Amino acid sequence: MKKTNNLTKQIGSFWAHYSYIVVMLVIMIVYAITISANGSSFRWSHITAILSSQNTCIIGTMAIGMALVVLTGQIDLSIGSSLVFTTSACIVVFNMTNSILAMIAAALIVGGILGLINGALVGLAKMPPFIATMGTMLIYRSLSLSVVRSMDTAISGSTSSQFAMLRSNSKYDFLRFSFGTGKILSIPYITLVFLLMVLLFIFVTKKTKYGKSIYAVGSNEKAAHLSGINTTFIKVSVYVVTGLLVGVASVLQACKLGNITPASSGKSYEMYAIAAIVLGGISMAGGKGNLLGVIFGALSYTTVNFIIVSIPSLTVDIQDTFQGLVLIIVILIQTLSPVLKEKAQIAKRRRLAESGK
Amino acid sequence: MKRILEMSHISKAFGGVKALTDVHLEVNEGEVHALLGENGAGKSTLMNILTGVLQADSGKITFLGKDYYTPTITQMEEAGIAFVHQELNVINDLTVVDNIFLTRELTGKFGLIDEDKEVQKTRELFESLGVKIDPTAMVRTLKTSEKQLLEICKALYTDAKLIILDEPTTSLSNEEIDHLFGILSKLREQGKSFIFISHKMPEIFTIADRYTVFRNGTFISSGDIKDTTPKDVTSDMVGTTFVDADMYEQRELGEEILKLHKLSGRGFSKISLSFRKGEIVAFTGLAGSGASELMQTMFGVLPIEGGSIEYKGKKLEGSIAHFMKNKIAMLPSNRKENSVIKDLSILENFYIAEHVLSFKKQIIKKSVEDERYEQQKKTLRIKAASSSAEITSLSGGNQQKVFLAKWLNTGAEVLLFNNPTRGVDVGAKAEIYRLILEFAKAGKTVIFNTLEIPEVQKIADRCVVFYGGKVAAILDHKDVSEKTVMGYSTGINTQR
Ligand SMILES: Nc1ncnc2c1ncn2[C@@H]1O[C@H](COP(=O)(O)OP(=O)(O)OP(=O)(O)O)[C@@H](O)[C@H]1O
Ligand SMILES: [Mg+2]
Repeated sequence: MKKTNNLTKQIGSFWAHYSYIVVMLVIMIVYAITISANGSSFRWSHITAILSSQNTCIIGTMAIGMALVVLTGQIDLSIGSSLVFTTSACIVVFNMTNSILAMIAAALIVGGILGLINGALVGLAKMPPFIATMGTMLIYRSLSLSVVRSMDTAISGSTSSQFAMLRSNSKYDFLRFSFGTGKILSIPYITLVFLLMVLLFIFVTKKTKYGKSIYAVGSNEKAAHLSGINTTFIKVSVYVVTGLLVGVASVLQACKLGNITPASSGKSYEMYAIAAIVLGGISMAGGKGNLLGVIFGALSYTTVNFIIVSIPSLTVDIQDTFQGLVLIIVILIQTLSPVLKEKAQIAKRRRLAESGK
Repeated sequence: MKRILEMSHISKAFGGVKALTDVHLEVNEGEVHALLGENGAGKSTLMNILTGVLQADSGKITFLGKDYYTPTITQMEEAGIAFVHQELNVINDLTVVDNIFLTRELTGKFGLIDEDKEVQKTRELFESLGVKIDPTAMVRTLKTSEKQLLEICKALYTDAKLIILDEPTTSLSNEEIDHLFGILSKLREQGKSFIFISHKMPEIFTIADRYTVFRNGTFISSGDIKDTTPKDVTSDMVGTTFVDADMYEQRELGEEILKLHKLSGRGFSKISLSFRKGEIVAFTGLAGSGASELMQTMFGVLPIEGGSIEYKGKKLEGSIAHFMKNKIAMLPSNRKENSVIKDLSILENFYIAEHVLSFKKQIIKKSVEDERYEQQKKTLRIKAASSSAEITSLSGGNQQKVFLAKWLNTGAEVLLFNNPTRGVDVGAKAEIYRLILEFAKAGKTVIFNTLEIPEVQKIADRCVVFYGGKVAAILDHKDVSEKTVMGYSTGINTQR
């Protein structure tokens, strides 16, 4: 009796801290079932497809930044548009210089600046994050759009309102093929970059004073301020970090796809990133959550997409409905399970007490 | 005498921690029942069980003849129990009126909220209770003491038969407390009952009729207040004979270390004071006296509007971190709003301020932090299972000790304490006094803001009484008495 009690307790505490792992496993199993229902069998290649999907790596990398912003109790709606702007910039720089270093530097600098603008609006001008980043979301995309239409195609690399990496550049093959689609032990390099970033930020949030300040600001900003923490710095800095991560994501985007279309690329990525972090167990109220969850959240989110696509009878029009439903159901399970558990316990105690007396 | 409440065989554990073991509590109609015990004795937990906030593991509640096992909050509210929590629960972004009428709004035509009527009712309520708060003010703008009064008014406004007051007077002045007791006596005559939790003995012996003592989650004693003495109940609480020793001793003070020169700020003006190394100075004054605001300005929380603050001859102005770097620390009032970071563990709450000073060394060494915490835990006698537990799992008084530890951990030379013994039990209070005296002996300067005059008499070398944003008097240790301080703090007497 005691042993089973202990076991349920352990399971309970595992669920409380790592429910996002269980969620991912369940979604994977559903995926495996839908695949076999369609007559093929679930293979390792299905998993690597999930791992190397741009949903996982590119949105996942940006979701790390979103997670930090959300942990401080704010939000960043501009990351999809920022990705377009930074990728445009880094492709242009690549086309002009044929230098990998210059391209990466451009991505990080431009991303960082875009993030800093968001941070300044929110942290210094004290605008509500939702509104400020909605504004920059519109601006960043439309700036890229207006530039692409007027730019010399020798620099933009494409004639079709796109920025594309020039095939004629000597580093093109390395970036696009050796790195962009290359693998080690069947794990794509770009996935490794994403995983590396998550590990880095798990370390930052768990082991550094900066990381703890992020949680403190999101949990009780006033108390954090009275503890001497420069709350404005923390709130601005998470936007800058997000910008830098968008920079990393834009290098991945460039190498994986070779181009970006300002009119359509990166649309709704902010929503996907939010979905991924929520699936990863990070609280939208701020102050609570584990960056490890971003890996599982991103994988869960990608898998949901794969499930939808693998069901032939779902037309494109209805796909979003399914995506929305899955999201709602998963979150419902996560938020309701402690409530239901508590209710069941109370009911049990009540029965015991009343029958005893 | 009619018994209205009987709680019997109540037990409750949080994980492995037994908060209550088979305790009982009986309350009669028309009495003020004092519930006593050290920090962590289980008082708040029992009240949370009574009001359905928490569920007991076993036991029975009988209220007004009806049995309850694991009631819900609404059930107990409807049965006629109102609860003023230990930590403030007002909503800062609503007005005073909206807070009072939350979930029981007065409606007029078409079911719309009748705001005028609500304001009118609130005015009447405040008038009858002698509370001077603007009903239409945003709660955010109220002082801590006003928020506490608001909470009490809210409970008194219901037609509850039993009202629970969990440490209701921790940020009230003597005058406000006297007033509150007047109201309680009146309501008691009308047959209302109160459960009154407090760590202040004089209060309990003024207002309570009967008492119950818990220790470590078990029932110890119960009886009529008139049959006992403060000494006896205190002994029941701590388990050994408690001697409230006189600990003050005259000391040789060091050189002047901190100086305020014609300092003006929000709520006070042209204050000139100087503090010496190793000195203990008490600030006291009613709400609006400017004492608390002055303290906040001395830590960079509120802006300097004129004059200067000099630490060792150097002018100080700027961010809180800047003041901290110059070896100043401040423990704020209103624990829940200003100190508790609820998503961080006990250890994280403890080290967060020190990390501002050592921000350049980014990586946290848990073993080092744990060691520092354990050391403070021992000197302050913090009752906590594990340093990685949630801060909110500690009893109120133990949380307060963690925050004292947090500021001691910054190595400050000047310690500003706003209401440092708030919600701390007698034993621990004596402990904190002893510690403050020790800091002073070790050359630290301690400035504390308090409304409790006995506290001033115990440890302060000097007492600065504020009235209307000015210094009304500076009293030497030997001149401090309830009466003189009262005279100066109400503006009846003036020294200068
Ligand atoms: N949510 C919780 N989780 C774990 N332990 C808890 C929780 N709430 C209370 N406890 C523990 O139960 C015990 C009793 O706490 P309680 O708050 O009832 O004390 P108290 O008598 O009100 O003390 P104080 O005078 O300091 O307010 C303490 O040891 C406390 O740490
Ligand atoms: Mg308590």
